[in-house]
Amino acid sequence: MSSESSKKRKPKVIRSDGAPAEGKRNRSDTEQEGKYYSEEAEVDLRDPGRDYELYKYTCQELQRLMAEIQDLKSRGGKDMAIEIEERRIQSCVHFMTLKKLNRLAHIRLKKGRDQTHEAKQKVDAYHLQLQNLLYEVMHLQKEITKCLEFKSKHEEIDLVSLEEFYKEAPPDISKAEVTMGDPHQQTLARLDWELEQRKRLAEKYRECLSNKEKILKEIEVKKEYLSSLQPRLNSIMQASLPVQEYLFMPFDQAHKQYETARHLPPPLYVLFVQATAYGQACDKTLSVAIEGSVDEAKALFKPPEDSQDDESDSDAEEEQTTKRRRPTLGVQLDDKRKEMLKRHPLSVLLDLKCKDDSVLHLTFYYLMNLNIMTVKAKVTTATELITPISAGDLLSPDSVLSCLYPGDHGKKTPNPANQYQFDKVGILTLRDYVLDLGHPYLWVQKLGGLHFPKEQPQHTVIADHSLSASHMETTMKLLKTRVQSRLALHKQFASLEHGIVPVTSDCQYLFPAKVVSRLVKWVTIAHEDYMDLHFTKDIVEAGLAGDTNLYYMALVERGTAKLQAAVVLNPGYSSIPPIFQLCLNWKGEKTNSNDDNIRAMESEVNVCYKELCGPRPSHQLLTNQLQRLCVLLDVYLETESHDDSVEGPKEFPQEKMCLRLFRGPSRMKPFKYNHPQGFFSHR
Amino acid sequence: STPLQSPTEVFQALQRLHMTIFSQSVSPCGKFLAAGNNYGQIAIFSLSAALSSEAKEESKKPVVTFQAHDGPVYSMVSTDRHLLSAGDGEVKAWLWAEILKKGCKELWRRQPPYRTSLEVPEINALLLVPKENSLILAGGDCQLHTMDLETGTFTRALRGHTDYIHCLALRERSPEVLSGGEDGAVRLWDLRTVREVQTIEVYKHEECSRPHNGRWIGCLATDSDWMVCGGGPALTLWHLRSSTPTTIFPMRAPQKHVTFYQDLILSAGQGRCVNHWQLSGELKAQVPGSSPGLLSLSLNQQPAAPECKVLTVAGSSCRVDVFTNLGYRAFSLSF
Repeated sequence: MSSESSKKRKPKVIRSDGAPAEGKRNRSDTEQEGKYYSEEAEVDLRDPGRDYELYKYTCQELQRLMAEIQDLKSRGGKDMAIEIEERRIQSCVHFMTLKKLNRLAHIRLKKGRDQTHEAKQKVDAYHLQLQNLLYEVMHLQKEITKCLEFKSKHEEIDLVSLEEFYKEAPPDISKAEVTMGDPHQQTLARLDWELEQRKRLAEKYRECLSNKEKILKEIEVKKEYLSSLQPRLNSIMQASLPVQEYLFMPFDQAHKQYETARHLPPPLYVLFVQATAYGQACDKTLSVAIEGSVDEAKALFKPPEDSQDDESDSDAEEEQTTKRRRPTLGVQLDDKRKEMLKRHPLSVLLDLKCKDDSVLHLTFYYLMNLNIMTVKAKVTTATELITPISAGDLLSPDSVLSCLYPGDHGKKTPNPANQYQFDKVGILTLRDYVLDLGHPYLWVQKLGGLHFPKEQPQHTVIADHSLSASHMETTMKLLKTRVQSRLALHKQFASLEHGIVPVTSDCQYLFPAKVVSRLVKWVTIAHEDYMDLHFTKDIVEAGLAGDTNLYYMALVERGTAKLQAAVVLNPGYSSIPPIFQLCLNWKGEKTNSNDDNIRAMESEVNVCYKELCGPRPSHQLLTNQLQRLCVLLDVYLETESHDDSVEGPKEFPQEKMCLRLFRGPSRMKPFKYNHPQGFFSHR
Repeated sequence: STPLQSPTEVFQALQRLHMTIFSQSVSPCGKFLAAGNNYGQIAIFSLSAALSSEAKEESKKPVVTFQAHDGPVYSMVSTDRHLLSAGDGEVKAWLWAEILKKGCKELWRRQPPYRTSLEVPEINALLLVPKENSLILAGGDCQLHTMDLETGTFTRALRGHTDYIHCLALRERSPEVLSGGEDGAVRLWDLRTVREVQTIEVYKHEECSRPHNGRWIGCLATDSDWMVCGGGPALTLWHLRSSTPTTIFPMRAPQKHVTFYQDLILSAGQGRCVNHWQLSGELKAQVPGSSPGLLSLSLNQQPAAPECKVLTVAGSSCRVDVFTNLGYRAFSLSF
């Protein structure tokens, strides 16, 4: 508080100067008297501008006096001293003035600062108030928002809709008059109703639970009763045996078979059950039997406690003995393979009897470690069959059932998991063992209810009855058709080898009465030989000549013309037609690559085969195709235009009646036979 | 490839193996090619899709295939809006704008007045005469019929051939029509006077006759005063006014289609190759296709689609070979 201390000093200075407006200053007294000198008050009265003028004037005076003093002093002399003294006194006075002015200036400054400070403090105080108020506002707003957002638990409950509520709730809860108008009351009423409903439902639930307990107890009692029934029924059955025999109703026999069936492995069991059912319901020509040793089957499944020690002991013994006797690795591997391919001792025998008294015998086996089924087939006929040379493969057990369904060649195991097992014992493919074990066709697996999906290999595939049932009828029908068609071919081949194309009377209308070209040769050829022929490349490239087909070569002749026909017989005959490729040797070699008419002839037998199918079941297709081939050759040779440059008559005079000889840009011959008019025309 | 086993697969494969494509026609926009086969089907291929750089295997299959006729489709031509197809005695018209939609029906069908009633004669060749907006049909009944495209009436029947007609060609200037037939003669007809004005019996000329092949004329093409024809006799270039054979092309196999292209003559027939001849008779190139025999050549010269300017050939197979550059086969479209 420098202003305070300066105030204290002031009185002394002022008095010695003799400045006006002096008075006793009593600091302890407050501003009561007013009879003291206050320089601050003086500051307010004086004009700063005038003070500034005064200051300038005073400085000027001082400068003048100093200059005079110096003047006097430089001149020197005694009387000078008084003038100097005078001037000195005057300068002192001026100094006093300056000092006063300085003080005033300081006071003004201090006053100004004080005012600023005050004002600033005020502003700060207001600012603080403002902040406080804003903060409070914000706080209040937040609170308001919170209040507005508040969701009470009651809103999470799913209440019934309003209409339902008014409909269902009893009036003492719904209180329509009150609640309609007031949403708060309404919500309360609804909550009440909700609570009511929940209480009622909880009651119901308890009741239902107790009901359930009661019923379960009843079921237990009944079950016990039933199980006690079994021994009594058995004794009744025994007693009824003599009656059964007397009445020729062999239920017991069937029962025995079912007894044996219990020991069948699941896939064979499924097959047995489904085949028997099918046979009884739809097809009396199907008979089912079980072959093999039941004891061996029982031996496979000894109870674990007994067998474990026995088996491990006996195994250990056997291993040791075998190791001592036969230490070679190859033989061990052989044994392992045999073990892996082991068949279940029981097998199911199916006999399908066809219309002409020929029978297809199917024996189904189950390979235990591989979880697949295989089948061995045999065809027996009522009379002894003399097999023509070319018919060797038709009914052979290896190929008679090949590709019953398209692509099902039965040379590979259908169970993808088997591959890993094979790798361990060095088996490459099941193909090497099929003659011994039977073929693992896919339809056989389906009849046993086994399904091996390719996309998601399953760990254990279990036998499924519905799979078997859904395939049974189709498979049986296909089997019968297959046997009959093969037998028909068998007979036809015998005739073909003698140069006679056996056309039945109901197919005679397809051909003219006179056919001159003759079939002179019919032989079977190997698959590789077929692929090597130069005129069969198109069929091979189109993927129609796989190794599951049978291949034959026919030779048709007339005069000097020789027509070779290479035939592809698909196992799916006759729904898949035999495919012919031709090569004519007459005045040069003509095949489908250099003669459009040869191409047309092939088209007549390959593409237009539906006309040649004959009455169902289309066993006449192949022979009709061969007969048509002979007719086509006749037409081709007789309609050949005569070369004027060559001497002599035509080798084959035209005997066929044709409307026109050539037609179209490719100058086709008239290959189409029209019945009953008997003339040839173009398609 | 896995062997085919199901009956439908086998039947389809057999059909394709025995298919013959007889005719082709390019759309007016130049982007599509129609091909007609011996089963009476017409397939429409998208040339622009097959030629584009993102072409996949599916682009080489038809966009749509439909049963157009009961018998083979021997001939097709395109006007600026229609596709006209003929084969089994009738000519049918299809709208190019509608043809890509499934279940396309023919716009109209007409049958020329035939003389015979026992068998319906085939139509082997169609020719458009732009000046009079008419269509000429010729085939099994040995006559040329002209049909007005506006009204559909048959205006003229030109008789003279003694055996069925294989091919037609148009001489723009006169206008005159040339026809070649099984009887071995090339006849010129004047359309205004409706008369035969010139006959060239090719087989009677020793230098081009080949008796062991027959005398039939299978193909014709004309370029103002010149005419080239082939078939049983050798492929020969004739000077029409003087009826003299000027150049004999040394081709043993009978030719079934011939056309003038720039300064070359292109021909195809029995045998795999498209033959390029110079007018002097020299064989410039033989470019093999994928079919064992060829029946039609088509040059896409539509101005609207210069990027589809290709030569397409077809014949005794289900494939249409596409030559982007005449020198080699780029790829094949297939039914």
